[in-house]
Amino acid sequence: MRLGIPVLDELLGRVPRGKTVTYSIDPEVEGDVFGMQTLYMNLEEGYECAYVTSTMSPESIRNRFKEFGWSVDDFKNFSIVDLYSRYVGAISKERYVVEDPTNLKEIDRIMSRAIEENDLIVFGSLSTILDVCGNETLDYFEEWKDLSKKCVIVSNFTVWPYPNEVLGRVMDLSNAVINIGGIHHRVVLGHYYGILKVDWTDVRGRAVLFKVIKPGGVRAYIPKILVTGPFNAGKTTFVHAISKEAISVDRLGTTVALDHGKVEYKGFTIDIFGTPGQERFDPILRVLGGEALGVILVVDSTKPETFPRAKQMLEKTTKFGLPYVIAANKQDQPKALKPDEIRRLMCLPDDVPIIPTVATEGKGVYEVLDALISLLIGGGYGKLEGKA
Amino acid sequence: MMIKFLGLDVDANNVMVLGPPLSGKSILVRNIVYEKVLEGFGGIYVTTKDTAEDVLRTMEDVDVKVVDCVSKTIFSDAPDTENIKRVSIMDLTGISVRINAFLEEFWKSGRRDVVMVFDSVSTVLMYLNPQMVFRFLHVLTNRMKSFGAFAFYTVDEGMHDEKVVAMLKQLLSGVIELRDDGNSRFFRYISPSKRMEWRRFDIEGREVVIS
Ligand SMILES: Nc1nc2c(ncn2[C@@H]2O[C@H](COP(=O)(O)OP(=O)(O)OP(=O)(O)O)[C@@H](O)[C@H]2O)c(=O)[nH]1
Ligand SMILES: [Mg+2]
Repeated sequence: MRLGIPVLDELLGRVPRGKTVTYSIDPEVEGDVFGMQTLYMNLEEGYECAYVTSTMSPESIRNRFKEFGWSVDDFKNFSIVDLYSRYVGAISKERYVVEDPTNLKEIDRIMSRAIEENDLIVFGSLSTILDVCGNETLDYFEEWKDLSKKCVIVSNFTVWPYPNEVLGRVMDLSNAVINIGGIHHRVVLGHYYGILKVDWTDVRGRAVLFKVIKPGGVRAYIPKILVTGPFNAGKTTFVHAISKEAISVDRLGTTVALDHGKVEYKGFTIDIFGTPGQERFDPILRVLGGEALGVILVVDSTKPETFPRAKQMLEKTTKFGLPYVIAANKQDQPKALKPDEIRRLMCLPDDVPIIPTVATEGKGVYEVLDALISLLIGGGYGKLEGKA
Repeated sequence: MMIKFLGLDVDANNVMVLGPPLSGKSILVRNIVYEKVLEGFGGIYVTTKDTAEDVLRTMEDVDVKVVDCVSKTIFSDAPDTENIKRVSIMDLTGISVRINAFLEEFWKSGRRDVVMVFDSVSTVLMYLNPQMVFRFLHVLTNRMKSFGAFAFYTVDEGMHDEKVVAMLKQLLSGVIELRDDGNSRFFRYISPSKRMEWRRFDIEGREVVIS
């Protein structure tokens, strides 16, 4: 069986029977699609699949699948384990119905049957069952895991700020954990997933940014970072210093189109775009700013007279609320201003990182990227971490 | 950061609107959203008691985003629209994700002033245990703070354990209290740095009027 998620399938290969896989989901990220996609892809392969719903009615779940273009009812091998209807006092015609969804013994009875009769069980929200039935749920989950020699159990688990014991236990009970996180900056600007743990194959951690497409489901994409700054500040040099491979379109030493590089960074592949510095290219800035995830502003630290222009470029590219960091470049020059002086002259808030760099020697360029990425990825909630 | 309405200076990003049933909480928060959206704020209304259509009917001619936690819970499934996202009340992750989607929309269109109403926390407490509701509110209140939005959460007084209300107050640092002595209605605002006197108000149609 496969998870049916881009990149993960290549890295993890087939999931052996008897394994449990947990999608550990940031509470602000639309992550339930992961479990649904895994189920649908295996439905198409002909496996017997059951979806456990505890947060919405069977009808709503079917419609939710349809949002992604997946009409599960066309498949005879699809069934629902209904832990919802009776909770809100509705009737249910599903194959598996739990009469009292607050009673773990009864859930256990139905789950045991479902595990016996299916190849794949997907919990739409394991965390909700935990919320309703208490921590004892995980004792039962351990039994289901032991019971499922023939079947694979996949769970969506929303990582609310639970106590660490609970999160540790979920981690331990999973043979693989996929972290689905948000890129937070005032709002959730983007989403990524990565492998936190897997015990049937050896993989290096790798993270992928994704978008949820309707219809379509999870799509991986490559994030863009914009490198901007005044004329001759060192942008092109910066992009080349940080990229494995990069191309530029320069004429007489100045950039007339875009610098473009690709960076491998902590498992992410990032597209880096350097903009031209001259004002006549400004319309490009706005277009690029709309697509990027973050901005690096390169300034020539020896030229305070260019700072107003730098500030103007920053405003053009970050109008949409993008996070940014400053590379205080040409620090090898005797007249270079220190980050603090630059902060004062440019009137930048205290929390904006200003990193000294010498782009020609590659000094400080990765620190700049580090600062930007930690602005982007910081601020999530109780991720399942540690023992991976 | 402050937000002003009905003569109040509210200095907390997350505010509990606490009062007995029928004391006018819903009407008050609807007035806040209505007034602020007219001033150019982005408005988000999370409803657990009335359907999105019922809420919007009381706020005609303003553009309010609604997270409807009613339709999908009780009635059969209804589709989303541009301004209405529906989700079951059991699906706290779904609620959180929908609120964030609206915030992202505001953020990307350059809108920084946002007001949100959550009406009501008491309904959620009927379905899910208090700890879970705190975890949910912990995440939500942090988001409101980091966005710089102002959020108002209605809570029915007398319905919950005192401990529950005390814990809610840890997350919701401002409180608008409502009182009804049979003849007149009163409200006041209390926060760590402000404490105002009770003020009388009346409800005329859909409007809150300060006497
Ligand atoms: N001393 C010193 N020179 C640098 C540094 N970084 C870049 N330069 C030099 O500054 C000049 C301009 O660098 P570029 O990278 O082309 O600058 P740019 O910002 O792309 O310029 P435009 O595209 O024309 O706006 C080149 O001669 C670089 O060698 C640095 O850290 N120290
Ligand atoms: Mg250049």
